[in-house]
Amino acid sequence: MTWIYPLTPGTGESADILGGKGHGLITLRRLGLPVPPGFVIGTPACRAFLRDGRFPDGLETELAAAVRTLENTTGRRFGSGGGRRFGSGGGRPLAVSVRSGAAVSMPGMMDTVLNLGLTTEATATVPDDAMGRLHAAVRTVFTSWHSPRATTYRELNGIPHDLGTAVVVQAMVFGDRDEHSGTGVAFSRDPNTGDKAPFGDVLFGRQGDDVVSGRSTPDPLSELAAREPAVWEQLVAALHQLERHYRDACHVEFTFETGALWFLQVRPGGLTGRAALRTAVDLADEHLIDRRTAVRRVSARHLQAARTPRIDTGDETDLLTRGRGACPGVVSGRIAVTADQAAHMAADGPVILVRPDTSPLDMHGLAAAAGVATSRGGPTSHAAVVARAMGKPAVVDAAALTVDTAADHVRIGERLLPAGTLITIDGTGGEIALGKPSITTETADTHLDRLLTWADELSGDHSQRPAEARLSAAHARL
Amino acid sequence: MTSSDESAVLHVLRCIGYAELPRVADAAGLPDLDAESYLIDLATAGLVTRTSGAWGLTESGRAEDARRITRELGTAGARDALTAAYEKFMVLNPELLDLCSAWQLRTVDGMATPNDHSDPSYDARVLERFADLDRRAEAVIADLAAALPRFGRYRGRLTAALDRVRAGALEHLTDSMTSYHTVWFQLHEDLLATLGIPRAWTAAR
Repeated sequence: MTWIYPLTPGTGESADILGGKGHGLITLRRLGLPVPPGFVIGTPACRAFLRDGRFPDGLETELAAAVRTLENTTGRRFGSGGGRRFGSGGGRPLAVSVRSGAAVSMPGMMDTVLNLGLTTEATATVPDDAMGRLHAAVRTVFTSWHSPRATTYRELNGIPHDLGTAVVVQAMVFGDRDEHSGTGVAFSRDPNTGDKAPFGDVLFGRQGDDVVSGRSTPDPLSELAAREPAVWEQLVAALHQLERHYRDACHVEFTFETGALWFLQVRPGGLTGRAALRTAVDLADEHLIDRRTAVRRVSARHLQAARTPRIDTGDETDLLTRGRGACPGVVSGRIAVTADQAAHMAADGPVILVRPDTSPLDMHGLAAAAGVATSRGGPTSHAAVVARAMGKPAVVDAAALTVDTAADHVRIGERLLPAGTLITIDGTGGEIALGKPSITTETADTHLDRLLTWADELSGDHSQRPAEARLSAAHARL
Repeated sequence: MTSSDESAVLHVLRCIGYAELPRVADAAGLPDLDAESYLIDLATAGLVTRTSGAWGLTESGRAEDARRITRELGTAGARDALTAAYEKFMVLNPELLDLCSAWQLRTVDGMATPNDHSDPSYDARVLERFADLDRRAEAVIADLAAALPRFGRYRGRLTAALDRVRAGALEHLTDSMTSYHTVWFQLHEDLLATLGIPRAWTAAR
């Protein structure tokens, strides 16, 4: 094979060829963890396609052979779909996902094609049409490398424009197959605090794209322990195994189909601020890394971020839900469910505007409010941009939250919070808490103290000076 | 002065929210005095109201605007053309939001930190991509204006914002009430209102 590599433990190419996603999937296979069968079209094929405007010689033949291998591995036929996703036994067709995966992470910037091979036309046509659709999907992913949005992302993040993307083709697994199916993301440690406990979201009975499109609300990952204990145990063991392999915290995307767990992606690192600091110290204590490495992994930016005031998420805090932080800062105020209400209430003290989303019609309410929380949108939504423009702490994408303006309340899960209820939001970690919980700063952080002691041992300088100076003196010696 | 100008003033309030006279006039493309005269007429009819110096729609004003823009869209026979242009707008929208976020926050060591505009080369990169997006937006706004001429006004307002940024007033990219993002946000709202598309997943207003 020249262009295509199987997702098997023996594939030894680097992430430059396989992309980060493909490389991670092969790592998972090597560790004996379950990955849907499939193959990777390497970045050289993408570069050739983008240069010549057509598939390079030999790619089509290799693609046909790779699909035949996938048919043999799964015992299913590609393109015999007839629209039946969940037919019984041998009648179940082979459907594939076609995903982008560059060497450098570019989340959400390129195209993905799911459920290929399942369209209803397949009944009336020959399987060759499925191959034609697969070719088109691969071309779509290749071409999306040059989409203006992806180009902008690379430009802003200093990623070279000539790398191209790999394409990962895998047998589909279905999180919406039955009540013992679902999908989620899991971090080996809490990315907000660094606490060593699996953290993330799970969506029961749904595919991952249902979250993105807003059709469904995810549950905290811990729900999995109660509802699918076997999947939970396997997931927790895998996260532990992956941490030992990468010698770092990591996170995975997963799907479980009829109780069987599958990994769709793994990525090491990525923790920031307080979580990065705590994890570096804990990993050294667990002897996964040495103290030098721990000191090297913490940057001055992480120290600065660790100093940001945060809601104390300890036992005394009544945490209502968590969205995503869009503008840092902790602020307390009474709930207002419309912009007009926020404008009226603000005369009597601080207000938090809670909305499904924001429109320009909410601007006067946002201007009057001390902070804003929305159930939709992301950190790059209009609401987030406007909140940052006004310097208001903001939590977005708090999916468990619904706003009922007619009833004049906010619902979070089973709980009803009438307008006027005092809440506190944290625009860094996305927490929404009842009342006015205590606020933490890093000053009393034993992890910081220990890391800085290690830094002093490395630099040989034990004098009194600011944390950044102690860290940079150690970095200079590494 | 025509009744279509009055409708324009009414519709501006539907798209920009509470605003003082100069912003209403600017968005409607009218002299302040004319805009104010229409606002007073509209207030007399109970369609708009003035609170602490800012003009805004009443509930009946919102309903009346919906009636007028639906009629306008039908009369112009512009629904299909406008829908097609809206789909092109929605391709640009996530990139615009990426760029606005990159202007406000800069990712260093995997962390988004406020962009303090101390690195001219970073700002220049963002602005260059912004200018590129603005050129592509020009074609989309031309399509929108071909369907309904009033959308042409957004071209001038966006250009004015970008010109102010280029002249050194950096807050006019994302952070002022007449910034590029604010005008774009209003254009987005205008398209949703005109085509009758609910803002995604809004349970109740």
